[in-house]
Amino acid sequence: MNANDKRIRWVKEPALGMAGKSYLLLFVQGLATTLKHLVSRKKTVQSPEERHEIPDPIIYRGVHRLNRDEQGRVKCVACFLCATACPAHCIDIVAAESPWPDREKYPQSFTIDELRCIYCGLCEEACPVDAIELTSLYDLSGKSREEMIFDKQKLLSIYDQTKDAEPTRTERLKGEGGGGKAE
Amino acid sequence: MPTIIIDNREFEIPGGVKLNCIQAAKLAGVEIPHYCWHPGLSVVGSCRMCLVEVGSKDAKTGKIAMQPKLVPACNQTAVEGTVIVTNSEKVARTRAMVEEDLLLRHPIDCPICDKAGECSLQDYHFAHGQDQRRADLQPFTSRRRDIGDVSLFVDRCILCSRCVRFAKEISGTSELMVAGRGTHEEIDVVENHPLHNNLSGNVVDLCPVGALADKDFLYRQRVWFLRRHKGICTGCATGCSIWIEENQDRIHRLKPRENPHVNQWWMCNEGRYGYPHVHSDKRIVHPIRHQRAEGFNPSAECETNAAFSGNSSRGDKPLGSLSHEILDWTDLPTELNQVLRSSKHLGAILSPFLAVEEAYLLCKMLRGIDKNAMLALGPIPVVGEDEHFPKGFTVRAEKCPNRRGVENVLTHFTGKIVPYGNFLKSVEKGEIRGVWVAGGYKNDWIDEPTAKTFESVELLIVQDLFPSPLSERASFLLPVAAFVEIDGSYVNHADRLQTVPQAIRPPLGVRSAGSLLWEMSGRKGLYDAQAVLREAAHEILYFSAAAGGVPEAGIDLKSNLLAGMGKIEDSSKIQQA
Amino acid sequence: MLLPLTLEALLKIALLIAGLMTAAAYFVLLERWIAAWVQDRLGPNRVGVPLTKIRLFGLGQPIADGVKFLFKAEFTPGHVDKFIYFLAPMSIFAAAILVFAVIPFGSALPPNIFPASWGVGEPIQLVAAPGIDVGMIYVFAVGSIAVYGVVLGGWASNNKYSFLGGLRSGAQLISYELPLGLGILGVVLASGSLRLETIISQQAQSGAWNCFLQPLGFLVFAVASFAEAGRLPFDLPEAEQELVGGYHTEYSGIKLMMYLVAEFLHMITASFLIAILFLGGWHFWGLTDGGGPDGNTVTWVVAVLRIIVLLAKVMAMILFFMVVRWSWPRFRYDQLMDIGWKVMIPWGLANLIAVAVWVEYGDRIAHSLGLPPLLCMGLCGFVILLLGWYVATKADPTLNDNRPRRRLISPDRHVEKIEV
Ligand code: SF4
Ligand code: SF4
Ligand code: FES
Repeated sequence: MNANDKRIRWVKEPALGMAGKSYLLLFVQGLATTLKHLVSRKKTVQSPEERHEIPDPIIYRGVHRLNRDEQGRVKCVACFLCATACPAHCIDIVAAESPWPDREKYPQSFTIDELRCIYCGLCEEACPVDAIELTSLYDLSGKSREEMIFDKQKLLSIYDQTKDAEPTRTERLKGEGGGGKAE
Repeated sequence: MPTIIIDNREFEIPGGVKLNCIQAAKLAGVEIPHYCWHPGLSVVGSCRMCLVEVGSKDAKTGKIAMQPKLVPACNQTAVEGTVIVTNSEKVARTRAMVEEDLLLRHPIDCPICDKAGECSLQDYHFAHGQDQRRADLQPFTSRRRDIGDVSLFVDRCILCSRCVRFAKEISGTSELMVAGRGTHEEIDVVENHPLHNNLSGNVVDLCPVGALADKDFLYRQRVWFLRRHKGICTGCATGCSIWIEENQDRIHRLKPRENPHVNQWWMCNEGRYGYPHVHSDKRIVHPIRHQRAEGFNPSAECETNAAFSGNSSRGDKPLGSLSHEILDWTDLPTELNQVLRSSKHLGAILSPFLAVEEAYLLCKMLRGIDKNAMLALGPIPVVGEDEHFPKGFTVRAEKCPNRRGVENVLTHFTGKIVPYGNFLKSVEKGEIRGVWVAGGYKNDWIDEPTAKTFESVELLIVQDLFPSPLSERASFLLPVAAFVEIDGSYVNHADRLQTVPQAIRPPLGVRSAGSLLWEMSGRKGLYDAQAVLREAAHEILYFSAAAGGVPEAGIDLKSNLLAGMGKIEDSSKIQQA
Repeated sequence: MLLPLTLEALLKIALLIAGLMTAAAYFVLLERWIAAWVQDRLGPNRVGVPLTKIRLFGLGQPIADGVKFLFKAEFTPGHVDKFIYFLAPMSIFAAAILVFAVIPFGSALPPNIFPASWGVGEPIQLVAAPGIDVGMIYVFAVGSIAVYGVVLGGWASNNKYSFLGGLRSGAQLISYELPLGLGILGVVLASGSLRLETIISQQAQSGAWNCFLQPLGFLVFAVASFAEAGRLPFDLPEAEQELVGGYHTEYSGIKLMMYLVAEFLHMITASFLIAILFLGGWHFWGLTDGGGPDGNTVTWVVAVLRIIVLLAKVMAMILFFMVVRWSWPRFRYDQLMDIGWKVMIPWGLANLIAVAVWVEYGDRIAHSLGLPPLLCMGLCGFVILLLGWYVATKADPTLNDNRPRRRLISPDRHVEKIEV
C-alpha cells in the first residue's frame, strides 16, 4: 500500500492538555498503577505442585498432534501447507506415494522441531484436512535437542493420548451438524 | 504498424507478423486467460476461456462495429482497426461460467496435486471465477493411469487437448487421443502403445492443470518452494535453454525456457531427466594429491576408487602402493603453479564440456607458462544419429554442449586443432612431461589402455566430475563443478553462444574450474566469468560479438565465422579423417 | 600509628567491597522480585539453602546466579577486537567500584574501637578515603570512565546492535553529564565545599536538606542520574527490544556479569549521591543530633543510627529506581536528547543562577522580608521550580511532528497536495 493511497485515513495524534504536557499528572498516574499492582494478589501458578488450568483445551496452543483417519492411518496428505505457513520453518515433511489404494500421497516422514516452534498455530490453520492440531499439552521437556524433534510416530501417539479429551475439529463439526472439510 | 484498440486504449502492434488477439493483448499488457491455445501448437478454440468481445473500427468513418457474439481471442487475428474488449461485464460473466463448468467435474484435490501453485485453473479461478459454488459437490481424488513416460490423473484433465496436438504435431508420434464422448471424454492411449518418445516430457509443461505429471518429480516438492534459474542443457549440442528449478541447492526438475533461436518451447527427455549425475555421491569432492610409488599397478588399486569420491574420510592414508592426501584449496593454486612451471613440456586436454571462459583461462595460463604447450580437444561423445522431429526440433548425436566454443578457443591459441589421437601419440613418445586434463564428462570417457599411456607422464593433473581410469593415475586430482554450478557460456552446434549464471552451489569441497584458473593466473578478486568472456571476445575474432554482453536468447557467432573464414577448422572432420 | 591507620583503611575497603558485591547481588534479586510483583507474579522463590529443600523465599538465588555466571561457558566471538573486548568490562567495573572511595556510608565511629594503647585518638570516618577535598570532582572524573566501558564494549564487539547501543549511550551519557554537573554545582555553591562529608554536615547543622532549598536542582540531578545509570525510562544503551542487548550483546559469563554488576553499582552510586547531596546524608531530625556534625563526639548509638538513616535513604532511592522502571516506557531517542538539552540544562542553569543570587544577596533579601533565611530560600526554590516547570510545559520542546513524511515515500508522479 502506497503512502498516498486514498483509503488510508491519517489520524492526528491527540493533543495533550496542560496536565499531560507538564508530565506531572501522568507521572503520578503511572506510579499509582505500578504501586497498585505491587501489592495486588499474585496470579502465579506454582507449577509443578499446582497445575495450570486450561480454560478451553480446544483453542489452546500446545504440543502438536497428527490426527488419524477412520482407519487409524495418518490423516495428513503431505500437502506441505503447514510447512509453508510455518513462520519458524520447523516442519519437515518427506512426501511419497501412499501404500494404500484409496489414497494418493502421504507423509513418509513428518517431523516437527518442537524447540524451534513458536506455537503460533498457523499450521493448524493451514491444514486442509485438519490433520495437524495443537493440543493442550504444554509441559513438554526432553534431555536433548534430538529428543525434542518429534517424528510421525510421536506425533501420532500424542493424538492417541489426547483424542478423548480433545476431539478433532472434524469430529466437533460433525457434532454441530456442519460439514467438515473433506479430504 | 497496425493500430488496435484494447479496452478503450489504442496500441500499435508490430506489423509483418501474424498475431492473434491473445498475443496482441499481451503486448499491450492485457492478459486474456486461455487454456487450449499455445503458441507452438495449432489452434482448436475448444476451451472457450479466451472469449472476448471483438469488433472493428472503420478506417474511413471511425465507426466501431462490434460483433454480436463473443469470439475466441485465440482464433482471431489482430489487424488494423481490431477492437478488443476484455473487461466488460459480459466477458467476465462468461469466464466465470467457463470456470464453473470446468470445476463441476474437477476433483478439488489441490492439496495433493503437484501442479498446485502453478496451475492455470487455480489462478484463473482466483482471478475470474465465481466466489461461491452453486452445485453441491464433494471433492474427490482423481483416478490415475500410467500412460507411459508420464502419469495421467484422468479426472483433473480439462480437455484442452494440448497434449494430443503436441503428440501429433511436434513429436509426430500421435500416441495420445481423446477417448469417449461428451462428459465421458478422457485422454488416453491405445493399449500397448504407451506415450513413449524423446519429447514426451513436454506434455507435462503443456498441461495447464495437474493432469499430466512427471514421474520423477511426482510428490517430490511443492512448486512454490522451487526457485528457477536460467540454464543451458548440456545433454547435446543443441544446447536448449532451460530453467533450472532448485530448492536449497538441490535440483528438482528442469524445464524448457522459451528461446525462438534454439529450442522454442521444448526440450527432450534426455536433457530433462538428465541431471541426477549432479547429485551423485560418486562425484569427486576433494582435491587430492597422489604419490606414485615404484611398481605401481593401478588395476590392483581399483577398490581405492571409493577413496577419491565423497565418502572418503579426511586425512593422509596410504593405500597400498599409492598414497593419497586430501588437499586444501588455500595453497593449491600456488602449488599447482609451481609444479607446472617446474615441468618443462606441457600439454592439455580440453573436454567439450568446458565453458568458453574456462577453456580460455586454461589455454591462456598454460601458454603463459610454456609457449609451446600442446593443447588438444578431448574426445567428443557421439551416440547414435541425430533425431529429427517434424517441426524441426532436433536431438543431436553429439552429446556435449560446447565443442564449437572450445574448438575456437583452441584454434586461436594453437593455430589448428590438435586431434586427440595425435596428442596421445606425443604423450606416448614422451614429448610431453606435464599434462592438464580438464574433464567434466558425465560418464566414462577414457578406457584402461588409453589411460595407461599417461603413466609415463611426470605430472598429471586431472580435473573431473567422476573417478575414471585416468584419475587413478593423476598426481593431482581436482574436482570440478557441474554445469548447473558455474557461471559460463556455451556455443551450440549452430554457433549460438548463450551465457548463464550459476544456479546452485557446488558440493562442499568442490571449486569451479573457472575460479581456480582465475586465481592461478594471478587475477584479483572473485571469479568474474563475464569479464573473462569480454576479454576472450576482444582477443578472439570468433567471439567478438559477445564483447558487449550476451542477451537472454544468446548471440549468433556465425557472422564472425564468415569474417574470419579460412582460419577455423572443424575438428569433427579431422577426427573422422 | 601507621599500622592501625593501614588496618583501618584496609578494613573499610574490605567492608565496602564485600558490602557492595553482596548488595549488588541482592539488588538483582530485589529487582526481579519487584518486577514480578508489579506484574502480579511471585518472582524467584525457589532457591534457598544449597543442597537442601529449604527455600528461604528464594534468598539463595543470587548465589546460584553468581555461580552460574562463573561457570558458564565464556564465549568470545571470533570477530571481536580481543584486547578492547576484554578491557571494556574491566574498566567499567573498576570505575564503578572506585567511585566509592570518597562516598561516606555513615558519619564516624567513636575512636574506642581500637585498644587505647594504640593511641588512635580520633573518631574513625566512615569513608574509605577520608578528607579528600575534591571528592565531588573525583566522583565525576571516575564516574565518567563508565562511558568508555560502554563505548569500547560496543565497538570491540564488532556487531551492529552493540555498536548502535554503544553509540547511543555514548551520546546519552555525555549529554546528561551536563545537567548532572549543573545539579551538583548548585549544592557546591551553596555549601562552599567539594567534600561530601562537609556537604552532609552542613545539611545536618542547619537541618534543612538541599532538596527543600533547591528543589529544581534536586529534580535535575535525580533525572540526570537515572539517565547516567542507564535506567528506564532512559535505558537506550540496552534497549533489548531494539538492540538485542545493546553494547553487551556479545558478552557472556563473567564479563557479562561485570557489566551487569557495574550497572547496579551505578544505580547504588546515584542513590548514595542523591541521598548525600540532597536528602541530608545521614541526618534525620531528632535521631542523629548528638555527636556533632563532624562526628567528633559521636557515641556508638548515634553512629549506628546515622549509618542506618543513610542506608535507609539509599534503599528508598533504589526502590524508587526499581518501581520507576515498571511505570514508564522508554523515551524515544529524540525525546531523550530534547529532554536533556532543552529541559534539563535550562533548569539546571536557572537553579544555579538562583543559588548564586541567593548566596550573594540572600541574607539581605530575607532580612528585608523579615523571614528566616532558610525558609525564605526554600520558598524561592519552590517558586523557581514551579516557574521552570510551567515554562517547560508551555514550550513543550519534546513535541515533534512524527507523522511519516509521505512526500518522501511516494515515487508517484501524481502526488496530491498534502494538507497538514
Ligand atoms: S505452531 Fe507455528 S511455529 Fe509451530 S509448527 Fe505450527 S506453524 Fe510452525
Ligand atoms: S497441512 Fe495438514 S495435510 Fe498438509 S502436510 Fe501439513 S499436516 Fe499434512
Ligand atoms: S484458448 Fe481460445 S478457446 Fe481455448
